[in-house]
Amino acid sequence: MSGSSRLNLFPLVTQTAFLLPILVGLIFTAAPALGYLSVAGHRGFSLDPLRTLFAHPSLPGALRSTILSGAGAASASLALALWIAATVHGTRAWRVIEFSLAPLLSLPHAAFAIGFVFLISPSGWLMRAVSPSLSGFTYPPDWITAGDPWAISLTLTMILKETPFLLLMVFSGLNRLDVKRTVWIGRSLGYHRLRIWTRLLIPQLYPMLRLPLLAVLAYSLSVVDLAYIIGPSLPPTLSVLIDRWFNDPDIAYRMVGAAGAVLLFVLTLLFIALALLAEQLIKKAAAGRLLNGRRKSPFEPLAGTGSWYMMLVLLINTTSLLVLMIWSIARVWRFPDFLPSLLVISTWTDNWGRMIEPLGVSVAAALASCAISCVLVVGCLENELTLEYAKQPSIDRRSLWIVFMPLLIPQISFLFGIQVLLVFLHLDGTWLALIWIHMVFVLPYVFLTLASAYRSYDRRYSQVGLTLSWSPLKTFARIKLPILIKPILFSLAVGFSVSIAQYLPTLYVGNGRFATITTETVSLAAGSDRRIIAVYALSQVILPLLGYAAAIAIPFMMHRNRQMMRN
Amino acid sequence: MPAVLRIVFVAIFFVIFQTAPSRAEDTWQEIVATAQGQTVYFNGWGGSEVINEYIRWASAEAKTRYGIAVKHVKVSDIGDVVSRILAEKRAGRTSGGSVDLLWINGENFQAMKTNGLLLPPYTQRFPNFQLVDFENKPSTRYDFTVEVDNQESPWGMAQLVFIYDSGVVADPPQSIPELLDFCKRNSGRFTYPAPPDFYGTTFIKQALLELTADREPLYRPVDLERFQDITRPLWDFLDELHPYLWRSGRLQPKSAPEMKRLLGDREIFISLSFNPAEASNAITTGELPDTVRTYVHRDGTIGNTHFVAIPFNASAPEAAMVFANFLLSPEAQARKSDPTVWGDPTVLSMAKLSIEERRLFENLPRGIATLTAEQLGTVILEPHPSWVSAVEKEWLNRYAR
Amino acid sequence: MTLFLDSVQVRFGATILFKPLTLTVAPGSIATVMGPSGCGKSTLLAAVCGTLDPGFSYTGTILLNGRKLNDIAVENRKVGILFQDDLLFPHLDVFGNMAFALPAGLRRSEQQARIIASLESAGLPGFENRDIATLSGGQKARVSLLRALLAEPEAILLDEPFSKLDEDLRSSMRSFVFDRIQRMHIPALLVTHDKADSPDGTFTELN
Repeated sequence: MSGSSRLNLFPLVTQTAFLLPILVGLIFTAAPALGYLSVAGHRGFSLDPLRTLFAHPSLPGALRSTILSGAGAASASLALALWIAATVHGTRAWRVIEFSLAPLLSLPHAAFAIGFVFLISPSGWLMRAVSPSLSGFTYPPDWITAGDPWAISLTLTMILKETPFLLLMVFSGLNRLDVKRTVWIGRSLGYHRLRIWTRLLIPQLYPMLRLPLLAVLAYSLSVVDLAYIIGPSLPPTLSVLIDRWFNDPDIAYRMVGAAGAVLLFVLTLLFIALALLAEQLIKKAAAGRLLNGRRKSPFEPLAGTGSWYMMLVLLINTTSLLVLMIWSIARVWRFPDFLPSLLVISTWTDNWGRMIEPLGVSVAAALASCAISCVLVVGCLENELTLEYAKQPSIDRRSLWIVFMPLLIPQISFLFGIQVLLVFLHLDGTWLALIWIHMVFVLPYVFLTLASAYRSYDRRYSQVGLTLSWSPLKTFARIKLPILIKPILFSLAVGFSVSIAQYLPTLYVGNGRFATITTETVSLAAGSDRRIIAVYALSQVILPLLGYAAAIAIPFMMHRNRQMMRN
Repeated sequence: MPAVLRIVFVAIFFVIFQTAPSRAEDTWQEIVATAQGQTVYFNGWGGSEVINEYIRWASAEAKTRYGIAVKHVKVSDIGDVVSRILAEKRAGRTSGGSVDLLWINGENFQAMKTNGLLLPPYTQRFPNFQLVDFENKPSTRYDFTVEVDNQESPWGMAQLVFIYDSGVVADPPQSIPELLDFCKRNSGRFTYPAPPDFYGTTFIKQALLELTADREPLYRPVDLERFQDITRPLWDFLDELHPYLWRSGRLQPKSAPEMKRLLGDREIFISLSFNPAEASNAITTGELPDTVRTYVHRDGTIGNTHFVAIPFNASAPEAAMVFANFLLSPEAQARKSDPTVWGDPTVLSMAKLSIEERRLFENLPRGIATLTAEQLGTVILEPHPSWVSAVEKEWLNRYAR
Repeated sequence: MTLFLDSVQVRFGATILFKPLTLTVAPGSIATVMGPSGCGKSTLLAAVCGTLDPGFSYTGTILLNGRKLNDIAVENRKVGILFQDDLLFPHLDVFGNMAFALPAGLRRSEQQARIIASLESAGLPGFENRDIATLSGGQKARVSLLRALLAEPEAILLDEPFSKLDEDLRSSMRSFVFDRIQRMHIPALLVTHDKADSPDGTFTELN
């Protein structure tokens, strides 16, 4: 195909657009950690920032909560996602899960956390539901729930948000496997379904889950906005400490922050390495057992819990959302009232005008970054498939992991460096910088959600077009694109919601000049008025929800008379 | 007392400065003319919707009166903005900076001043600057003991006040030792935000000032050799207090607004604020029950002035000046003092205002939970800013492990 | 060992897929069920196997050696299945694929002996360590059948097992499969749309 040389440009552009700035961002963050920060008047190299970091009284505690919440959330999310898949797949409940994933994913982390905090606080909705009738409390008890020093509530929040994401990845991975007949064969050979999952499906599925899992791991270790909302405070997690140091009025603390960022980076790499090592160890340990012929699983009695857990995830998410809705129309809602004593619409009407601009900025940044990301991803995949069809060694498939780097590196570990770089280039606070930094995080997710469907496209459809002497472009536009419209739009919706949720990148790159609905919501989350927080958080929910709705509605409208396109 | 001497000294200096012929600079009219069409990026704490709403009003006024667009860049910690301006300076960006005006005081002002990040003295050019009550509000001249030197423009007065729920607490504590007793009797019903939150640090400074017999060293740069001795009573107090705090002190709120939320949820019975009108305000909006009231300690509470300042590399310094001057206008100040708007006390001197201007203030309603100037009592001046980081460091060492 | 289908009828909701089917399959023999694509042939096999998708239901009785299969869990029915695709597990080698079908409790050496013997009998000596991806279509089909039979099923279902093979490969594969089934002496139920698949030319029409 003549287009193949031009298609080559896509991975090239994609990689340079991401790799280079991120490497520079890392270097510009690492240099101050070693005492080199020319803006602070330090030009020599020293170990002082590292020494200050390691001598900091909050560091051990911060490391403990970071590791517990990060590693705990990632491993528990994976285990639960696989458990749900193994126990629920093939039942009616699976359709319910499939249907509920999009709305679950569209609920932004920050909005969910705000609702969840109110749900589980000692003065929260759960307690109000039983007070004073059952509990006897007329004042909220002094119990530790949200923001606990062991970071349990933070871990739970992340598990509740990351399990659906990993489930989505399980879904897209299962698309490439013949699950139905694999299960059929496995069962006809006498195996219980749990065994079929552990021995046949998960080994085939895991390679496709590895990257998303590592992304979840890196995210959980370095999340800032959630840790501010529901994380421990004395001391907070490492990422929050770093963010604080970067924002300290004493500029020398930027170097400590940089040292912390490097530590977090190393920590993340370490845990990624540990995850990969654990994978190998489990593989080794399982190799012998894989073929021992045991048909029954000791966990069979628990198989029903998968759907229960999923129901719980759904229930907590909807209740958190519901509680936000109630707050947004409450005027007075005191403990222990189960419902507000006074309802008003004025919180919405008073704030609506103020939200238009941040909503607009959010939508503009999300649309632009998604559109460009989608073109790049489709280009990369086309190039990859073209090479594959031509039986040329496809190096790009392996090297494209570079695209995923932003997901595997703590944001805070390179954002500071990128900020320095942008200031140097006079690009800070520009739309260009904003859209680019959003793309850095949007593109990997678009890739992640689109790739498997795109790769499993039956190219014979396109060959039909080519045999009608259509141009490759026309064939692409008239045949491939409409057939793939559903996965493409879905990946765009995922990208859209990722862009909407960006907090730290918007802040560091935007110079504070871009107020998005998310930066507004997170900054208001620190405010006192829960009613206004609820209005903003709900507005933050609306955008991704519209995105997912469009991703479902558009293909439905296009193919409403085409039964084969339904699934 | 040297502090008093210094006030007098600088006051004299100030008078000389004011009467000195103005430098070869644009007249105010020219500044206003240049300002037209410019955009001011006003960086300020954005955690209070009441304040944000006031800034929205001021921005709209600036637009219609002077043709200036003011964009409120809401930040959670102004320290971030200070270090960003410093980074810009070191990167050689001497103009076209990202910040035109910022809301500031205390150690952030000191950091900007010592690093040369502020526009050379400029507030003397503001027509409304003459109306500031320098005589009776020394903190408009000394920001945490640091000389202001016309490099930041006073915006409002703040005094630490406590908000309590009179439906639950009959006699609120009148001093730090009484507060300790209160906490022992009502375990888990008081807390303070964890430093480096501004309010948390202020509460600790309040305790330090009340518990220290000789306050004089606190108004000078911290002497690290004597630091432990001077602050011993403070740590003894906090060590004793913490087990009786909300959640046994194992977690602390991240900010004062979070405390307000806890008060509204009846998790705690006493909260704190820098705005004497906050309680009344919160009753009006329904955020807090109508039983909340305000009180201060018998021997006074910390008070300070908050300012707006223009960085040396502002992109629109003229418009920033025009806006800062507008914020000082009797009209803007009166509206700011209105407890139904914000309730932030004015920096202006009533004596320097015309009768009509004075009436703007006199007619303001006073909320049910707002203290009068007399009730607010003695204002304790802020210690030297170097105490902030020293105390914060020791606090982290003790309580944030 | 006999497979007996008594008035088996599958429906999806209220829709009936085919008329009630009654069939007796003697051990070692192959019953062929024919029908155009989409008539529910594979669904019939799913009913026998017990793997009907949600929404499908069936009436009638399925007996295997007098055992009523209707209420027995899939994994306990001892009914093997062979599809038109080989469905060999790509993460395992030939040995792994076959060992997976062996009963539990065997020592490694026993597993090895059985698998090697089975492969040799099928003309695939030395194939145990081969990666699935390196096998030809015919080899995969054979390994797939060997795997199904190693589990010692009491009946086997064949879902158009030859339709994806080349013409010349197809007839040799047919005789291979029929020969194996006869040797195992188990009943086999074959669904196809190709009359030539039927070993004796007889078939039951599904409609």
